[in-house]
Amino acid sequence: MKYLNKYLLILLLTAFFMAGCDTNELHDMNNNPNAVAQIDINYFLTALELGCAGGNPGSSTGGGADNRFLDWRTNIGFCAHVTQQLANVSGGIASGDKYFDTDMEPQNAAFIYGMTDEGKNAAEIIRQTGTGGAMEGTHANTRSAARILRALIFGRLTDLYGNIPYSEANKGLVGIYFPKYDKQKDIYTDLLKELDEAAAGFSADADPGFTSADLIYNGDVAKWKKFAFSLMLRMAMRVSNVDAALASTYVTKAIAGGVFTSNDDNVIMPMAIGPSEWLNQNGISRAMSPGDGSQALYSMLSKTMIDKLKGTDPAITADDDPRLMILSSGIGNWTNNADPTTFTPIAGGTNPLNQKGLPNGLDLPMLTALNGGVAVDVGLVYSRINVKMLQDDEPYMIMNSAEAELLQADALERGIGSGIAGTAANHYNAGVKIAMQMYTTYDASLTVSDGAVASYLAIYPYAGTKAQKLEMIGTQLWLSQFFDWYEAWSNWRRTGFPVLGAINYPGNATGGTIPRKLRLPASEVTGNPNYATGATTPDLMTTRVWWDGGAE
Amino acid sequence: MPKKPKPMIVKKMFNNSKRTMLLLLWLACSSAVLAQQQVVTGSIKDPNGAGLAGVTVLVKGTSAGTLTDAGGRYSIQAAGNATLVFSFIGYVTQEIAIGNRPVVDVVLEENLQALGEVVVTALGVERNTKSLQSSVTKVPGVSLTQARETNFGASIQGRVAGVNVTKNGSGPAGSSRVIIRGNKSLNGSNQPLYVVDGIPMDNNQFGNAGVWGGIDQGDGLSSINPDDIESISVLKGANAAALYGSRGGYGVINITTKKGTSRKGIGVEFNSNYVLESVINLTDLQQVYGSGGMASSNPADPTAPEVGSKPTNQQQAWDWGNRSWGAKLDGTPVVQFDGVVRPYSYAGDNWKRFYNTGYTWTNSLALSGGNENQTFRFSYSDLQNKGIVPNTGFNRRNLSLNTNGKFGKKVTFNAKVLYDNEDTKNRPTLADSPGNAIQGVYKLPPNVNIDDLKGDPKKPGSIPVGLTMPSGRAPGTELLPANDNWGSNPWWSAYQWQANSIRDRFITSAQLKYDILPWLYIQGKVGMDFYVRKSRTLKPQGTGDQLGGSASEREDRVREINQEWMLGVNKTFGKINFIGFIGGNKMVNTNENVSANGSSFNVDWFTSVNNLSSQNFGYGYTKYGINSLFGSAEISYNGFLYVTATGRNDWFSVLNPANNSKFYPSIGTSFIFTDAFKNLPTVLSFGKIRASWGQVATATVTPYSVNNSYGLNGQGHMGKPMAQYAFANNGYNIPNANLVPALSTEIELGTELRFLENRLGIDFTYYDQKSTDDILQGTISNTTGFLSTYMNLGELSNKGVEILLTVTPVKGPVTWDISLNMAKNKSKVVSLIPGMTSLDLEEPRTRTVRVQQIVGKPYGMISGWVQAKDPNGNLIYNIDGIPQRSAGYVPIGNGVADVTGGMNNSVTYKGISLSFLLDFKFGGDIYSGTNVRLDEWGLSKASLKRLAGDIAVKGVYNSGTASNPIYTPIDRVLTEREAYNYWQNMPENVESNYIYDASFIKLRQISLEYNLPASLLSKTPIKTLGVSIVARNLAILYKNVPNVDPESSYTNSNSQGLDYFGMPTSRTYGFNVRVTF
Repeated sequence: MKYLNKYLLILLLTAFFMAGCDTNELHDMNNNPNAVAQIDINYFLTALELGCAGGNPGSSTGGGADNRFLDWRTNIGFCAHVTQQLANVSGGIASGDKYFDTDMEPQNAAFIYGMTDEGKNAAEIIRQTGTGGAMEGTHANTRSAARILRALIFGRLTDLYGNIPYSEANKGLVGIYFPKYDKQKDIYTDLLKELDEAAAGFSADADPGFTSADLIYNGDVAKWKKFAFSLMLRMAMRVSNVDAALASTYVTKAIAGGVFTSNDDNVIMPMAIGPSEWLNQNGISRAMSPGDGSQALYSMLSKTMIDKLKGTDPAITADDDPRLMILSSGIGNWTNNADPTTFTPIAGGTNPLNQKGLPNGLDLPMLTALNGGVAVDVGLVYSRINVKMLQDDEPYMIMNSAEAELLQADALERGIGSGIAGTAANHYNAGVKIAMQMYTTYDASLTVSDGAVASYLAIYPYAGTKAQKLEMIGTQLWLSQFFDWYEAWSNWRRTGFPVLGAINYPGNATGGTIPRKLRLPASEVTGNPNYATGATTPDLMTTRVWWDGGAE
Repeated sequence: MPKKPKPMIVKKMFNNSKRTMLLLLWLACSSAVLAQQQVVTGSIKDPNGAGLAGVTVLVKGTSAGTLTDAGGRYSIQAAGNATLVFSFIGYVTQEIAIGNRPVVDVVLEENLQALGEVVVTALGVERNTKSLQSSVTKVPGVSLTQARETNFGASIQGRVAGVNVTKNGSGPAGSSRVIIRGNKSLNGSNQPLYVVDGIPMDNNQFGNAGVWGGIDQGDGLSSINPDDIESISVLKGANAAALYGSRGGYGVINITTKKGTSRKGIGVEFNSNYVLESVINLTDLQQVYGSGGMASSNPADPTAPEVGSKPTNQQQAWDWGNRSWGAKLDGTPVVQFDGVVRPYSYAGDNWKRFYNTGYTWTNSLALSGGNENQTFRFSYSDLQNKGIVPNTGFNRRNLSLNTNGKFGKKVTFNAKVLYDNEDTKNRPTLADSPGNAIQGVYKLPPNVNIDDLKGDPKKPGSIPVGLTMPSGRAPGTELLPANDNWGSNPWWSAYQWQANSIRDRFITSAQLKYDILPWLYIQGKVGMDFYVRKSRTLKPQGTGDQLGGSASEREDRVREINQEWMLGVNKTFGKINFIGFIGGNKMVNTNENVSANGSSFNVDWFTSVNNLSSQNFGYGYTKYGINSLFGSAEISYNGFLYVTATGRNDWFSVLNPANNSKFYPSIGTSFIFTDAFKNLPTVLSFGKIRASWGQVATATVTPYSVNNSYGLNGQGHMGKPMAQYAFANNGYNIPNANLVPALSTEIELGTELRFLENRLGIDFTYYDQKSTDDILQGTISNTTGFLSTYMNLGELSNKGVEILLTVTPVKGPVTWDISLNMAKNKSKVVSLIPGMTSLDLEEPRTRTVRVQQIVGKPYGMISGWVQAKDPNGNLIYNIDGIPQRSAGYVPIGNGVADVTGGMNNSVTYKGISLSFLLDFKFGGDIYSGTNVRLDEWGLSKASLKRLAGDIAVKGVYNSGTASNPIYTPIDRVLTEREAYNYWQNMPENVESNYIYDASFIKLRQISLEYNLPASLLSKTPIKTLGVSIVARNLAILYKNVPNVDPESSYTNSNSQGLDYFGMPTSRTYGFNVRVTF
């Protein structure tokens, strides 16, 4: 019997080991203790809002979770330079200065981040609160806010790239891996409808989750509606050159709904120093900071910009735009490395008369030649962006109210839509005033008095031929969109103002013409079989998008 | 023809006892003859009179047996009329009748024909190679220790047919990539499972450099002390690896550590190895033009052409600090970046000034001993390394204790602890700048002396007090040699940046075996690999692109526990022998990390993370497990015909329960025809053919990535939580609930032939492997919001041959052995996601090429831009003569070599032996981002073609519009300015110019060893004394890539063939002393 015991022991041992092969235990092992199967959808709204402020909270593409990447590449590196608000001789990222496409990152970043960060987070909210979603029929305000922000992002993406995946975009979780491309006209038509529905979709019932998660307006539904209608006004005007009927319909709707009227309405995302520099800080500031991204060491205010701000007579200050010494810190360098506030101007560097913009499209030898063969330190010769607007926790302006006023002036001047109260001059003057006075958002000291605005408007009254007036409107839109260079470029493409001289730097990729479109990432060109049949082609910087006179 | 040694499991043999006899009777299934038992002792010697340890002594017709001790002595209980069988690998087996004698001494004759050796096969089972049905290669530990690598993976290169090793250019603590018989998965690691004495080892990678630069954080292999390795065996085929389960799907490397032997007193073994290491500068750069750039040849005349010019003031010198596009070096005084005027002439070899002579000193001491019942081995090893990059180093301490013993007659145990402590100082940043010291050294113009970049001697690489730089930056911050915040000062990168890590690791195991019956045993085994890894990185305050600085601290805890049981049978029925077992394994792997990091130091120059103004923390946790049941049965006939079948079922935690189980079998046979047929020509000493078929299932899936889940992002924003997806890859890889395990199926055919009394041997293998249902992270359009999705759609195949040729041209007092191994592997990506023809892997910092898996092409293609052509095939330029890019990426190379191998020669004469190893790879390509930059910076010899008229372009340019191109001929030479623009643009437009054949032949290793004759040592306590001179990486005998090593690589990921400022190759040379007492 001894031996039987032994077999019993073996059996017991075997049972012991076999007991380890418990599949339930294995199954439980695959539940992530640091994740949940369902989450409060409002938490996605905060992430979406941060994404719209260039924060890229969910990004693992491109530069990784790097809030500098998107703004640095596309907004600054391409758009700010191509619209000639900034200029660059060498260093940093500035392919828009000379129309290069050797480095594709500046052209690709907006597409990749728009699709994989903001667009994706918006889609999650819309999917979950929509038909068949886990939260169907709830979170009306969060859903509407997400639809508005999605319209903002997809409007920008189609402006930059023309035809893009839209109706099938951001549906990876439901199994669409290679979305088809939609025509820009169809995208615009749908986005305008989206905005209409989103504005109507807000509920007056206070939703504490929405109020808490919404860092832009803290749940103020009235302001969200203004945002929706102002964006509708922007998008309607964007297509006004090619589809007057669509433009008129939605300009009328937007005005009827009510658009922005003051700087209190501005779409501003607050930013913070921490906890993470990569997540919570302002990406434009980080890209520009002398201690971090350092772009401001290389990219100066442009000659075009400074000349505009210095008014008709550069030799006097009386006719200057009051924004001259708001946008410019003056001429000088930083003394303390890590601290952008230690900008120290050279002697006379803050004198408005001495402000000097750097011409676009130059390299160092060209600049040297321009200076009679003497090498120059650009930092000690040209005006810099005001460092007071480049703190790491600077708020991020997603959209401003001046745009709504200036676009109303534009619509009135061109007779698009109906229902706009007042005259074009009223709206132009209001737009200029709002634009000049919005910089207190960045720093309390950056004020422009009502008197200064009035004086400027007195020197440059809204008058002249229709063409002259449209140029004034276009130029003011351009000036008001410092930091929102995506819009500055799109408005320039639509209005043609201000008139910019094309650069023809050796080796440029456009044959010396100002780019009209960005190129799509190589990953999309080769990775999405639908690219070939649906994208705006040829996929070159010289191709125009539909609303810019390109193919439908 | 003498009888061959009997194949057997050299494990605990039957010891007679009453109890078992009763049991035997009771079971009535044994043929054991019962008779009067007596104790027989004796000693077994070789023809030279030395005692032979480990000889198997069997009582014929039973399974009762024992092994001889270190002195060759044995003791066994046997019936007085029984016959003893003495067998030992390499010796002729003898049978001697006891004839009631108490002492039976034997001298065994060497068997020159039955060469065979014991290797460790699946699940730690030792087998004679002759019975194997698939290719298993054994590498003795000694070949890894003479001229050693700190990462032992790198030592395998060139030694095993079909094993392709790539050591990252990342220093002594860096990782290595070991690929057996080609890449078998599109997304999986493709690296083998490492098993230490039967316990799988975690070989987790802690990070690699990628497109944005980074640090090779090392792998698990660096923990292994080569002095503790008795041997390694490489299990290549699916058949061999099948029993290891899913993680053996990419092959298995079995490490057997040294054990104690029973002997008189304590054996002492001491080994000291000291090698120096020096950089090999493979660059061949221009020394004609100095730092500078394009400027007007006559500033007063706006029409004057631009020419390469010297800087005229400090600002200009700094602006042009990283461009070698100046004037011809003429010795005239010219201002440099720091405002100091120096002669405009070649400044000498900056590599010599920057790189150190490194060293590695390894001392190992081992004590071993024991008696018949208990043996032990204890070892301690200390490795100290100073790297070739200044301020880098690697220290390692290993302790190991290995004990074996018997409790009574039936229970044997083995227990082992390996402890390892690794301390790495400053792993170098590779690939992209900033922080890459190596790139900083490459980048300097020929007229700049790197010592002038040192700045403050107390803080190398910083601006000294009193020096005013055009940046206006304060003393103590990085002294940038050029107006480029990302172009690091190499001294600053080396001395001020930090990337340190310390790892404490325990690999422990215990095994208990109980012999239930002479032919039946049960055993249990528990093993744990546990380590804590603490790492710190510092990007110091004052760094060019981040003046505030940043730092991180991180701790990883990794634990893998394996529990295994096995019930085994080993029974002989006449000429038929049956070996079989069934068993189960339960594996659980837990990985947890916490980190603290942030940026911008509050108090100047105080580098603690507590001093950061923005502080952040992170926490990560994954756990996964695999449960398995397995079994194996081998039937052999008369020692010359073997058939083995195995089966295993794995259950994976990472898959959903409905599809997480997979059974996979294998079957194989081998036939030793020289044993079967007695009248073969005598020229043939040994002949065997083998065939096998096997499958292995794998599930390379990150935990928690088959189901959607949500988590929180960082610490939110402005105090509000932010949601994100919590599945794999930061929520960028769409989960797939229906994933099933991938399956690798392999057929292997082989033969082993030896001729002329083993003077000539050929081992040939053909294999045909196919991976189906491969789990791939299929690249999908970014417009989905995601980057990839898990899919079971991958299919790829590998077919190849392996040849091992051994020749002994000279034998006698002088013996010369040649061993040549060579393998050719042909891979093919058969399918990806329907509609998709390629899958994207990584890209280097130029972002102009990408490694891709392309349907119909071999694994790991490199695709990139090439020069566009018009419909008539003319090359397209622009009007300025700059080559224009193709519309999309075009496959231009393949980063995986298809032919790999090595040749080892060893010549011995008395106590002297000289051996050298050549290794080679052919058929792979390398994309050299380093050469792209060297051209752009004006440093390469190619860029000497820079003057007016040097570059001719011939083709067309588009004089129309983008949509309506009109191709107009262009056929002219470029001006100097145009040539400059050409060099700034061509390298990122025409990537086919930067794809090189990566084939090479290297003289990898030489060692010259002298062992003192025993007669000289006989009066000393020293038993053996060997001294050797060793050297590694002596010469590259053949290569086709300019300026860099053809093996240059900064990542050990699946994206091979990318070079971008990895660490330069180094050469080591030194000596080794080995003493035993």
